[in-house]
Amino acid sequence: MKLIACIKEVPDTATQIKINPAGTEIIKDGVEFIVNPYDEYAVEECLRIKEKFGEGEVIAVCMGPTRATEAIRKCLAMGVDRAVHLCDPAFEKSDTYATAKALAKAIEKTGFDLILCGKQAVDGDGCQVGAQIAELLGIPGVPLIIKLEISTDKKTAIAHRQVEGATEVVEVKLPALFTCQKGLNEARYPSLKGIMGAKKKEIKFFTPADLGEAPGSFGEAGSLARMVKLSLPPTRQGGRKMEGEPEEISKELVKSLMEQDKVI
Amino acid sequence: MVPTAHFPGNIIFYLIFLGGLGVFSYLIYTRIRLLLFTQKEDRLSQIGERIKSILVFVFGQRRLLNEPFPGVIHLLIFYGFIAFSLGTITIIGEGWYPGFSLPFMDSPLGNIYLLVKDSFALLVIIAIVLAAYRRWIVRPARLEPSLDAALCLLFIFFLMVTDLSIVAGRIGLGTESSGLWTPAALTISQIIAGSGATEAGFRTLYQVGWWGHVLFLLSFLIYLPLSKHFHVITAIPNVFLRYLGPRGALTKLNLEDESAETFGVCKVEEFTWKQCFDFYTCTECGRCSDNCPAYRSDKPLHPKMMTVNLRHHLLDKAPFLLSKNSNTAVTDSGNGQEWNGAAMVGAVVGDDELWACTTCRNCEEQCPVFIEYVQRIVDMRRYLVLMESRFPAELTATFKNMENQSNPWGLGYTNRADWAEGLNIKLMPEVGEADILYYVGCAGSYDDRNKKVTLSLVNILKSLGIDFAILGIEEKCCGDAARRIGNEYLFQTLAQENIEVLKNYKFKKILTACPHCYNTLKNEYPQFGGNFQVVHHSEFLIDLLDKGMLKPARSFDMTITYHDSCYLGRYNDIYDAQRRILSAIPGVKLVEMERNKARSICCGAGGGRMWMEEHLGKRINVMRTEEALKVNPNTIGTACPYCLTMLEDGLKAKDMEEAVKTMDLAELLNNAL
Repeated sequence: MKLIACIKEVPDTATQIKINPAGTEIIKDGVEFIVNPYDEYAVEECLRIKEKFGEGEVIAVCMGPTRATEAIRKCLAMGVDRAVHLCDPAFEKSDTYATAKALAKAIEKTGFDLILCGKQAVDGDGCQVGAQIAELLGIPGVPLIIKLEISTDKKTAIAHRQVEGATEVVEVKLPALFTCQKGLNEARYPSLKGIMGAKKKEIKFFTPADLGEAPGSFGEAGSLARMVKLSLPPTRQGGRKMEGEPEEISKELVKSLMEQDKVI
Repeated sequence: MVPTAHFPGNIIFYLIFLGGLGVFSYLIYTRIRLLLFTQKEDRLSQIGERIKSILVFVFGQRRLLNEPFPGVIHLLIFYGFIAFSLGTITIIGEGWYPGFSLPFMDSPLGNIYLLVKDSFALLVIIAIVLAAYRRWIVRPARLEPSLDAALCLLFIFFLMVTDLSIVAGRIGLGTESSGLWTPAALTISQIIAGSGATEAGFRTLYQVGWWGHVLFLLSFLIYLPLSKHFHVITAIPNVFLRYLGPRGALTKLNLEDESAETFGVCKVEEFTWKQCFDFYTCTECGRCSDNCPAYRSDKPLHPKMMTVNLRHHLLDKAPFLLSKNSNTAVTDSGNGQEWNGAAMVGAVVGDDELWACTTCRNCEEQCPVFIEYVQRIVDMRRYLVLMESRFPAELTATFKNMENQSNPWGLGYTNRADWAEGLNIKLMPEVGEADILYYVGCAGSYDDRNKKVTLSLVNILKSLGIDFAILGIEEKCCGDAARRIGNEYLFQTLAQENIEVLKNYKFKKILTACPHCYNTLKNEYPQFGGNFQVVHHSEFLIDLLDKGMLKPARSFDMTITYHDSCYLGRYNDIYDAQRRILSAIPGVKLVEMERNKARSICCGAGGGRMWMEEHLGKRINVMRTEEALKVNPNTIGTACPYCLTMLEDGLKAKDMEEAVKTMDLAELLNNAL
């Protein structure tokens, strides 16, 4: 059974994000990179499935700069068997679609029975890539799962999804893709044995050519969305209290929302 | 007249004596041989210090006398044994050569010896009665009313009784010069004579006493290695072989060893021979558990029972281990067979037991025979963390925080020196050189309450114009908690990174307000080539006071009780500086808690417990706060960021945070300037 975990390296959530003056990217100096926490759930779930069935291969697939090798090693230390690293300047500045396209190609090339992704990466918070990979591969995609049970014949899976105020239970045929929500599991901390073993595990590097694609299929050229400008959210202001008769207040509120906050 | 002067007495004696000695030797041989299957450790340096330990802690019974009642009982029995040793040699000598006598016995010295022995016979009997009274009537919680204990006392009791019978019999028979030097035996002899005993009666008394003494002696000898009373033999070597390195330094694991199959200790034979010798030596007195914050707060850790259980486990596993042909095989599958008995970590010693330890060292400080607990517990934690990745779930975040942001809170590492903003404090990366390198530590950098301590200390330094600098964002967590939790890999990473940074700069001393940073930098960094002079702010401030550089002038109406930090006190013997600093502040009245200095109870945060939930038992910090409140202070003085946090939380839990304040020495002193 080939279990794929898609992982991404992201800035540590404790980092205070700073943006370069041109507004094109974040300043990476002083930023610690970690494995996207939701992707850790994906890795953990793959490892648990492998342990439960006593067989299978867990493969981490990652698209990112050379630096991302460190995040990949952490997953290998957790127990992932081997990794695929999509590492090429042509992949830089990909939007979610170009990213999903690259990952889907790589996963197809690697082979798969089950794909797990984090529900979103905590840097861009796009929540798109998982679903897009499923679509591109033509397999069922089940987002936001908090429980996963694989049938003993490994042909179907039952997933519990978190939906507003309830849990939705979905049964799908495998292969399928799931995106992982907090609550699915607690990701393990790598043992020293794992860390030492990770040094010897294989990381396969893929360029667009290895995927049988032109460099232009990815990156900015292969993207559907274009980033115009990056800016920090405005610092939070204190609340405003409106006093007076209800009629007056509602008028004032509408005016404020239209003119000052420009939300309606 | 010696019973062995004629056949068959002599033959019977030879058989009993040689048989008894043979069995005893065999038992000792197996116990020692078992140690050859454990790990190596050197314990023979500093011979002078070791001999001194024997004098103070064995012959001086220093630690036993911490508790007068059981201490004196033990002292009497201990010296009774010594007093009787010459008498025992005489009896055994007589057995072989009727008429044997030690050379000085006929001199006045011999008479004095007889008097001493006779007195001790009585004193030991009194001590036995008191010991039995204590164990079976008073019943302190730490003692079990066991058969083992009863047998030991009975053996000693009968040894005394039989010795008295021998002497009384001799007096009655007229073979003892006179009863003048043996008043107790004389009294017995006279009582028996008064009841109309004949010469035959005295002969019987003597013969029964003699054979009884020999039999009890040899059976006791055989019983020793099989019981908790093995300490009669092992205590002296155990004190002699005690750990004499820096108490605050845990052993260094060689993580670069590619051939290492396992890290930490999960099987009993992975302990060192000395750690196993500790198991042999435990006398089950329970002083360790009595002073253990985990045990006192109803957590699963019971240091005494851990040692006893490990002893049983080691002996259970002995046949398996001894069946192996080499002492190099650490793995159970060394010669193709597996150990099917209980697993040590997880079964003999439960995970919860290991995680309950605050590494406060109170057990080690109290143990009369210097049994070592902290290293043993950390060794097993290392196995759990490094090999099994099995630890309280909340620690995953702590580890990752230390890895990614170099502090256990996980706050951004670039914010480490935010507290210093606008204060015009020199940064080492900018100046490269200063007299004092102030190592702020994680709590002093990130925790709001402890930042106030940092600011107070900085204010004192600045007011005196002391040339100091901080590392700023180049400073990382010292790694104390990581190491004590068992994450040696993380600890070594942090330590090496810090040492590398520190080596870039010129300074005379490292100053820190955190006892954990202090201990780790001072006692553990030398293992990685980081040799720096490190001072805790209590040492630093008392020095400034002594030199007259600091003059606390403002008077406060304060009743302060000072809570000792384990890592300053028991780990580094700093007890007085803090008290002298507080006393130097005008108007301060210092009151001591019942348990203070070396007996002080931990706040509950050491050993990485700061970063673990306290699900089991009572809350240690609340218990300690209650002890502090008993002496009615209006301020609790601390010298450690963990203690400060824990006791402040304790006061909140008791709804006393308004009435009683928790303050660090630096804050109190700064306020008084």
